[in-house]
Amino acid sequence: MGEAEKTFISGLHEKLVEDKVIDESQLEPDFAKEIVKHGGKDVMTCLQCGNCTGVCPISLKIDYKTRSIIKFCQFGLKKFTLETRWVCATCYRCYEHCPADINPAEVMIALRHIAIKEGVIPPFIRMAAMTLVNYGQSIKPDPEIERVRRELELEDMPSRNPEFAKVVREINLLIRSTGYDKLIGIESEVKK
Amino acid sequence: MSSPEPLGENDAERPQEPRRKTSQAPRIGVFVCHCGSNIAGTVDMPKVTEAVEKVPGVVVAKENKYTCSDLGQDEIIKAIKENDVDRVVVAACSPRMHEPTFRSCIKEAGLNPYMLQMVNLREQCSWVHSREKEKATEKAADLVKMGIAKAARLEPLEAREVPVEQSSLVIGGGVAGIQAALDLAQMGFKVYLVESEPSIGGRMAQLDKTFPTGDCAICILAPKMVELSRHPNITLLSYSEVEDVTGFIGNYDVKIRRKARYVVEDKCVGCGECADACPVKVDNKFDMGFGKRKAIYVPFPQAVPLKYTIDRENCIYFKTGKCKSCVKACANEAIDHEMEDEIVDVKVGTIICATGFDIYVPMKRGVYKYWEYQNVITGLELERLLNASGPTGGHLIRPSDGETPRRVAFIQCVGSRNKKIGTDYCSRVCCMYSMKNAQIIKEHEPDTEIAVYYNDIRAFGKGFEELYHRVREEYGIEFIRGRPAKLSENPETNSITIRAEETLLNKITEREFDLIVLSTGLKPSEGSLKIGKILSLSLSPDGFFMEAHPKLRPVDTAVEGIYLAGCAQGPKDIPDSVAQAKAAAASAASIMSGKKVKIEPLTALVDEELCIGCELCVDMCPYGAPEMVESEKGTRARIVEALCHGCGTCVAACPQKAIKANQFTDEQIASEIVSALEGEDGATGEERKASKKAEEA
Amino acid sequence: MTQYTYFFGCIIPNRYPGIEYAVRWVCGKDGFDLDVEDIKEFSCCPVPGIFYSSDKNTWLLLAARNLTLAQNERREILTVCNGCLTSLLKATEYLADPKNLGKVNRVLSQIGRKYTGIPRKTEGRRRIMEPVKVRHYVDVMTNDIGLEEMAEKTKRPLKNISAAVHYGCHYLRPTENQTIDEPNDPVKIDRIIETCGAASVDYEDKLDCCGAGGGVRSHVVELANSLTEDKCRNIAEAGADCIVTGCPFCLLQFDNAQKSFTKEGIPVMHVSQFQALAMGIDPISLGFDTHHVSAHSFLRKLRGT
Repeated sequence: MGEAEKTFISGLHEKLVEDKVIDESQLEPDFAKEIVKHGGKDVMTCLQCGNCTGVCPISLKIDYKTRSIIKFCQFGLKKFTLETRWVCATCYRCYEHCPADINPAEVMIALRHIAIKEGVIPPFIRMAAMTLVNYGQSIKPDPEIERVRRELELEDMPSRNPEFAKVVREINLLIRSTGYDKLIGIESEVKK
Repeated sequence: MSSPEPLGENDAERPQEPRRKTSQAPRIGVFVCHCGSNIAGTVDMPKVTEAVEKVPGVVVAKENKYTCSDLGQDEIIKAIKENDVDRVVVAACSPRMHEPTFRSCIKEAGLNPYMLQMVNLREQCSWVHSREKEKATEKAADLVKMGIAKAARLEPLEAREVPVEQSSLVIGGGVAGIQAALDLAQMGFKVYLVESEPSIGGRMAQLDKTFPTGDCAICILAPKMVELSRHPNITLLSYSEVEDVTGFIGNYDVKIRRKARYVVEDKCVGCGECADACPVKVDNKFDMGFGKRKAIYVPFPQAVPLKYTIDRENCIYFKTGKCKSCVKACANEAIDHEMEDEIVDVKVGTIICATGFDIYVPMKRGVYKYWEYQNVITGLELERLLNASGPTGGHLIRPSDGETPRRVAFIQCVGSRNKKIGTDYCSRVCCMYSMKNAQIIKEHEPDTEIAVYYNDIRAFGKGFEELYHRVREEYGIEFIRGRPAKLSENPETNSITIRAEETLLNKITEREFDLIVLSTGLKPSEGSLKIGKILSLSLSPDGFFMEAHPKLRPVDTAVEGIYLAGCAQGPKDIPDSVAQAKAAAASAASIMSGKKVKIEPLTALVDEELCIGCELCVDMCPYGAPEMVESEKGTRARIVEALCHGCGTCVAACPQKAIKANQFTDEQIASEIVSALEGEDGATGEERKASKKAEEA
Repeated sequence: MTQYTYFFGCIIPNRYPGIEYAVRWVCGKDGFDLDVEDIKEFSCCPVPGIFYSSDKNTWLLLAARNLTLAQNERREILTVCNGCLTSLLKATEYLADPKNLGKVNRVLSQIGRKYTGIPRKTEGRRRIMEPVKVRHYVDVMTNDIGLEEMAEKTKRPLKNISAAVHYGCHYLRPTENQTIDEPNDPVKIDRIIETCGAASVDYEDKLDCCGAGGGVRSHVVELANSLTEDKCRNIAEAGADCIVTGCPFCLLQFDNAQKSFTKEGIPVMHVSQFQALAMGIDPISLGFDTHHVSAHSFLRKLRGT
């Protein structure tokens, strides 16, 4: 299955071999609380039934199982969850089936927040954010598509309108106000 | 009621309470309880004691580690005697448990037992404010002061005694109801057993064998059913429903509807000629729809009473006015299509509610495809398929083609332990019945491959763990820890593939089976909601009936004289149901053997002078306690004390303020409120108002 | 009559202008003639997989800004994208919490905006506010217009076409509190397909994810594509002529991913494009040439009718 498998499967296994025994020094006791703070539900109520893994389209493909990620969270094995976070497709099927009513997808989102805070920021986040602060949208305009738009007699993209500069200014201000630019390291792109 | 006599009991040895002059100022004793660290862990007890000591009227204030203990009670008695205390405030836990304790304690010291005011410092203070110790202490002191204010206005009351009817009503003819009825009958009490189905036996009669020992269910139940039907003290009212219950402990009036079974019970000998003649075949509910029965039927061969019943919905005569094949076949002329429902009134002293459970029905369009795939069945359906007197004579088949399944999977916790669908509780029997059924399947067909998909195994009872061990060791049952996520059917073979994470392997597995058994959980029976309303019983969050105390009064309900037995109170297995039935019978007997029972005097009272006879109280009362009587002054309301629960609805509703509730009079409640609003300076609202007026003047 | 404002999001205008054309045509004079306007100051919703996933405060602010625009026009937002739907709908739920609302409005005041919701009625002197309504295109079609009217407008029933519907996860589960269809058994797009005279074919794992969501496509495209491959295999087995979806992001994934595992591929289109075809639009206006998987096979079969 190519690159993805290598990155996501071997990563964990090598680590487990290194740390044969998990001792207390590797655990973050308040990790479950940290997840709640970032909008996830309490992972301690998880029964570890594995229903989430069974319905998860991603778990079918890679060795990270939804249930086992929740187990890492219960244990406080924060570092084991570090790279797992951006493989959730947020399809919410796990939520639909969870008998403990946890919503594992929102836990994954909380884990992403924690990862971002820790500086583990995947490049596409920066890319999309930079496009947003420049064009007010998350996708760059494509000249070829703009040609088709004209053929179809659709109006030009609002971002081509000089008045749209005001929108971009507002967005830059909002992004600055939360410190998001600093958080993901795009300060230089954000206009004052 | 105006009599200042103490608790009406012919107990000459007890020192009678010395009569006090009404003008004498109240002498209040306050006893503050630590409840170990339950209260003292949060509330600063010495501070509370100190704060209340100075309140006018308080002559003694003490704290105690456990006031309910022997030592604690002795201290109260001692303090009452030493300080000539005439009323007592106990600041401890909820009155639910220990109010009776302290009532008898102060009675022992010579006081009227109703001269007691309890203040709840535990449930209503320390437990809910455990993180705010200072504020909790402040609140505790305020609560005690309120209690003192009310105590100063307490009046002595007298409990009345009423005779107890020496008979009992048992609702539900499952194993719990049967056992309770037999025990009571054995002790000499008259029992009326009401069962809504044509036969008693309940769910247990449907089972094949019982775990963990493997006894045949009907073989051990049938003798009890027969014994019950022959017992001279028991009146069996099958195919009947309780319509209405009024009255109170010792004196319940019960209205029972005997549904028309269109067969005269006295004439029917159970020969079955009528069923042979009946041309209508329908699904047998008792066989979970697998077997067939006629429109005139007994649900199963061992039915008690062995009397036939016509199923009106399917009988041709009731549809077309023609047929009567059964009438022609019956030599005893027992069949009467013109029969009508009959209402029977009985009077009983106690009631045992044993309404049992229903099986959770898997969701339509749910993950487990119960409604879509024929080869997905429930645990109870499997019981019928394994049962020698079941539709297949005990031969396990796949519903799709009648073949013997070679690979069988059990899926645990269907309809249990699932917050999503509101069944948070464990049904307690599914783990064991699945193991038992797995063993039976293996005994029938040793080559069958069996897997159990489970989350946690609950093998907590006597002999349960041994069964868990046996099915793995001797029968090779495989246990897979994971909740199946997806079932898909092979359209050609109708076999079903289960996808699940084997959580202990951290792998997703897919395996094919011929038959899937959903270990469906237990839920409150459909009829229990109606019975609950009739009996005014409360429900636990899980929907089952709530016991009076989870540990110490597990078979009692909040309504005096009504007891719970079996799964009506919560899921349980047969041994637990029988044990609880025996306990309920013993509790009911202990009331009835006393011949008389005391009635709490915390009731409402009508002031005839103020009453205008508007009858609003009659409309409002949920218990039918007020009645209208003719007096010299005209038509006036009067409360039948024995019916009154002291809920206060009529008190609030009365436009004339003519009704007062004993121990919750307006004056008493107002005094608590005034005390609560008292300022830092200790001045009451009234005092402050007065001083303000004085200033203005 | 309900008043709407278009919310096309980022993907449709910048990648699939044909969808925009189709939606405007279906909702416009030639179609159902809805009262619907453009608000030119809308920005990105913002993308849940990026912003909701990385910082909820920023996400909420940007979403709230969009909501205020619709609020000031007193219009319901008509989204054509599952992502925009879930992002904006979730934001209205977050803003129902006064704590979040206060925090958001403090920042929004710096750009002269305020989210209040839309007043629905007055009780005494109090105005009862309602959150800005966020509606999915399919929801508006099936509930506000209705299947009967849709069937009436079907001028060219797509009789010999069998379509495989892909709902997309955020159509099924926009939030924990709200759904627009039955999450485990959705029917609305299937019904639209039927009113267009076509058949909706059932296929294995119909409700499975396309693979793209939640940043998976951006982060590990092979993983996303491998999920799409599974879906496409099931769809092909069912013998579908095209994939119809209500979400441009799922569409983009199906459209782009297929070239990684197949040469031909199954054409993918938005439900609005499918509808427009049945309502008699000239296929040339639907911008199929911007799609990666050629729609030729589909159009050829269509002409056969």
